[in-house]
Parts: sequence; structure tokens; C-alpha cells
Amino acid sequence: MADVSIKDVVKRYGSLQVMHGVNVDIADGEFVVLVGPSGCGKSTLLRMIAGLEAISDGTIEIGGRVVNDVPPKGRDIAMVFQSYALYPHKTVGDNIGFPLKMAKRPKQEIDDKVGRAADILDLTKYLDRYPRALSGGQRQRVAMGRAIVREPKVFLFDEPLSNLDAKLRVTMRVEIKELHQRLNTTIVYVTHDQIEAMTMADKIVVMRDGRVEQIGTPLDLYDNPQNVFVGGFIGSPSMNFIHGHIRDQGGKHFVSDEGLHLPLPETSASDGQAVSYGIRPEHIGIGDSGIRMKVVVTEPTGSETQVFARSGDDLIDAVVKDRISARPGDEVGFIIDPARVHLFDRETEQRII
Amino acid sequence: MKRQSTWLSLVFWIAVSLITLFPIYWLFVISVKPAVDLFTTPDLFLKSFYWQNYLDVLTDRTLRGYMWNSLIVSSGNALLVTTLGFLACYALTRYDLGGKESIFFWTITNRMAPPAVFLLPLFLLMTSYYRIGNFSLLDTKIGLILVYCTLNLPFAIWTLRPTLDGIPKDLDEAAYMDGASSWKVISEVVFPLARPGVAVTLMLTWVFAWNEYLLAATLTNFNARTLTTGLSEYVTTTGTEWGVMATISVFTLIPALIVFSLVQKHIVAGLTFGAVKG
Repeated sequence: MADVSIKDVVKRYGSLQVMHGVNVDIADGEFVVLVGPSGCGKSTLLRMIAGLEAISDGTIEIGGRVVNDVPPKGRDIAMVFQSYALYPHKTVGDNIGFPLKMAKRPKQEIDDKVGRAADILDLTKYLDRYPRALSGGQRQRVAMGRAIVREPKVFLFDEPLSNLDAKLRVTMRVEIKELHQRLNTTIVYVTHDQIEAMTMADKIVVMRDGRVEQIGTPLDLYDNPQNVFVGGFIGSPSMNFIHGHIRDQGGKHFVSDEGLHLPLPETSASDGQAVSYGIRPEHIGIGDSGIRMKVVVTEPTGSETQVFARSGDDLIDAVVKDRISARPGDEVGFIIDPARVHLFDRETEQRII
Repeated sequence: MKRQSTWLSLVFWIAVSLITLFPIYWLFVISVKPAVDLFTTPDLFLKSFYWQNYLDVLTDRTLRGYMWNSLIVSSGNALLVTTLGFLACYALTRYDLGGKESIFFWTITNRMAPPAVFLLPLFLLMTSYYRIGNFSLLDTKIGLILVYCTLNLPFAIWTLRPTLDGIPKDLDEAAYMDGASSWKVISEVVFPLARPGVAVTLMLTWVFAWNEYLLAATLTNFNARTLTTGLSEYVTTTGTEWGVMATISVFTLIPALIVFSLVQKHIVAGLTFGAVKG
């Protein structure tokens, strides 16, 4: 087991710079998720930790040792690929045992460890099969088996669940989490799916355009997003953003560009300041009081109802536990808890409250 | 209706096969006839077999030497060319080389000129320049192997590239992560997966070298002469030995037929390997 320290890491392809000084500290045994939209550099960063991609500037340390120039085999890490990358001409057993064979371990030891890994991952009866005869979830488990037999210091996962169907994804999420609790090895996990990030991570690193936007625990990112991007990226359905400015008439409140008046908590924002008003759909209640808005669409899912309503051009999305009888065109009242409101500067997109 | 079209296509393909195979049959017919019968009115079916030509060819030490030369040259060439082609394709598909598409295209340009163009320069180079002391490449098996390399290597690179392109690079990376060296990545992962393509390349380059006549006839005198060039020695000023020539031709055909039938399955798999994503 080991900690991983990423310091001022830069990646250039020729004159094109795609990563601009990334700093991340990963503690021993921590489950860290790198998350962001495609092209944000999360996979590149993971591949730099793996040694599959050269580091243009800065350093990466694994277990206190700078590994910039260490090839993958010398880093004592294991990786699970998005495509699983199972060797199609080798059986499940040979796939799992391959890292040990490369390390020239004795046959007895290989058999023992493969047997144990297969046992953990429930693959024992498939050991003689070829990958093509396995289902997606089983292939995924073989890929994990190949990673765990080595007992590496760090596990790297590159979008391991994105090729699975939704139901299996939830199951495998639990399995990976369980595996982490059992082995307690440092994990760096890349995904573009914020739900995966929220449910699995001890710590989330949100990335965009080769930069780290924010690092924190899942709930910390949810409660205190540093900027509009993180606010919008974390949480599902996404946070509502309404553009407008602050008006100070006795008490401060928010006026949208469309003229919608919304409540604010205590804030240092000054009268007339241009801001983006952020409120999560689940923090809006629906009742007879509150701000009157016209329902556009309701989406009942059984456990909750999502209501889209409009006032002028402002579209607001609310999620409530109750079943709503309102039909499109009806007027309902949106009740906003000021304590749950996020305010971002319109120019810098940085958090004000 | 459907039954009728099946019959029609069966008849059609039988006819095509007969037309295609007839010259080979006729070659065999000539090889088992005594010389006096060759120019009489031909019979379509053989009434008797005359094996003397075969005995003559098999007991002729010179011809046995030619056969041996052909085997060595084609096998040596196929092995060398396939190995080099495989490694070249590995580099071309796995590494970020500047101008690799140009390199790839450039390799095929020497197949665009007729081989006869190279005859004179190759002959002169091999007699006077490519030599160490008394040893020159002219009339040596290694000389012939190397000359065939220049023609076969581009071919091997072009047939192997789709195969190597079709093997996901994730597998290489997974193997690196699993602690494999570059050599192990090739021997444990890439090569086993490329086997059908490699088999096809081996066979096609082997057949090319086995069948080649023009360069072999010019660049060898006696020591490295191959079976195809041996054929022409039976056209002499005192007459042409048709029976012996036909027999040698049969011997020339047999190995190619054996190799083809052995890897026929791989050819179809190999030729479509790059096109079909698994």
C-alpha cells in the first residue's frame, strides 16, 4: 500500500498543452475518483500515474518515490481498463495469473493466488473458459482478478463500468467498493459518471480542461461547490442556475434577468452585482405559497416527481417526494429554502456563498 | 425454382473448375507419357503410366540440388521477410513515428516497377560491389534470399499491418502493466494473436520465392539455381525434353499445393482479419 502524490503535473503534446499543473494528494488506502467531462484530462492523468503516458513537467510520487522515469512494471501498480483488455487467447486462469507469470513466480504460488482471487470474485468455475465465453460482468471481474493477484500498492481503474448495462453497473459498483474495504489498497478511479464518483469515493477530484476544479469528499462537493462548473457537475438532476443580479432594498434579494424575484441568505454580495443563482432541484418545495411558476413538464418516477416549470425564459427544475397532480400549464408555487441557495459571481463563476 | 438455380450454379462452378484445372491435369498427362507418344493424337484419358521421367528426375543429382536450393531459398526468405515485416508493422502500429504513413507507403513503391528493371543493376552490384574478398553474392542462396527480401518485405508489411492494427493496443498496455517487457508483450500477447496473419504472410511470400524465375535465372549460375530455372535447362540445342520438364513442373507444383491446402482456412481468416472487428 502506498500514498500517491501528484505535484504540478503538466502534459504537452508538442506545442499543445493539455494539462496545466495538476496537484493531487492521495493518502494510503484512500479511494479517490477523478471525474469530469470527456477531454478533461482525467484518463491522461491516470495513464501518467500508470506510466503509460510520459510526464512533461512536475512529479508523480508513489509511496514516497518519484516515478516519473520508472516504467509501468517498476511502479508496483495494477490497472483495470475500460475495455477490460483481457488476453483473448488465454483462459480466465491464465489471464489472472499472467502478472505472476511475468514476475516469474513458482507455479504452485501462481495456482494458489489465482485460486484465491477467483474465489473472491466468484470466478472459480470459469477458470478454464476463454474470455469470449464470458458475460460483460464476468469479464470485468476477470480484469479485477488480474489486478488483485499482484497485491499492488495502488489500483488504477479507467472507467471500468462504462461498458456494462445500468443494473450490472450498480452491482459492480458495490463489488468494487467491497473489494476496497477488504483489501484496503489505494485506488485511483476514473469516471465521467458523477453518481459513480459520489457513491464510491472517499475523495473526489473534479477536473475540467486539464485543470483541477475542486477536491473534496462527495458531500463536501455537493454542499459547497467552489464554482458553477462543480455545482452543475455534481448532483443529479443538475443544479438550477438562474442569471441575474443582487438588489438591496432594505434586505438583499435576487432578481433574475427575466424579472423573477428569489430569496437569498445573508451575503456579502453588493447591490447590483451580476451573479448566477444556484439551487438544487431537491431543495425546492412545491406548495400554494412561494414563487408562482407555470408547469411545463412533470416526470413521475414513483419514488419522486420531477417538475419543470417556467417563468419567462427561466426554466426551473424541482424534485419532490410527493406525487404532484399539477398538469402542464397549471401554476404552482416553488418554495426555496434560502439556506440552500448557492451564489456565484457571473464573471469569475466562483462561489460567493 | 430455387432448386434449379442451385443446379445451375453447381454446373457452372464445375465447368469453371475443369477449365482452371485442365492445364494442371494436362501437365500430369505429359509427365507420364514416353516422348514418342507426346505428339500423337492426344487422348483425354490415360491408358497407361510411364514413370521413367519421375525416376530420371529423382535420380538426377543436379535436379535434387535445385530442389534443395528452392526449398532453402523460399523457406529462408519467407521466414526472414515475415519476421522483419512483423517487427516493422509492430513499430508502425505501436509507436508514434514521424511520417509513418509516408514510410508505410514508401515501402510499397518498389513493387510498382517491373522486377526486370532491377535485373541489370542487381547483377552488376552482386558481381562487383557486394563482395568481401573472393565472396560475392552472385550465385549464392543468401544472395537470392536477400534479393527476394527487397520484393517480399513490402508485401509482408502490407499484409501484416491490418492484422496488427486489429489487435487492440489496450492489450499491449495491459501486458506492460502486468509487468511484461517489450519482448514479452510481443511473444505472449501480440504474436499469438497475429498468428493467422503471420501464417498467410509466410505462405504467400514462400510461394512467391518458390515460383520466382526471372531474378533466379539471372543472378545464379549453378550453385544456387532453383527448380524453376532448372526447367529451362531442358530446352537444348538438340531438342526439348518435354516429359522431364513436365515432371519437374509437377514437382514444382506439389509443395505449393500442400502449403496452400494446409493454410487455406487461415487465408480467408487472415485476409479479412483487419476488416472485421471482433
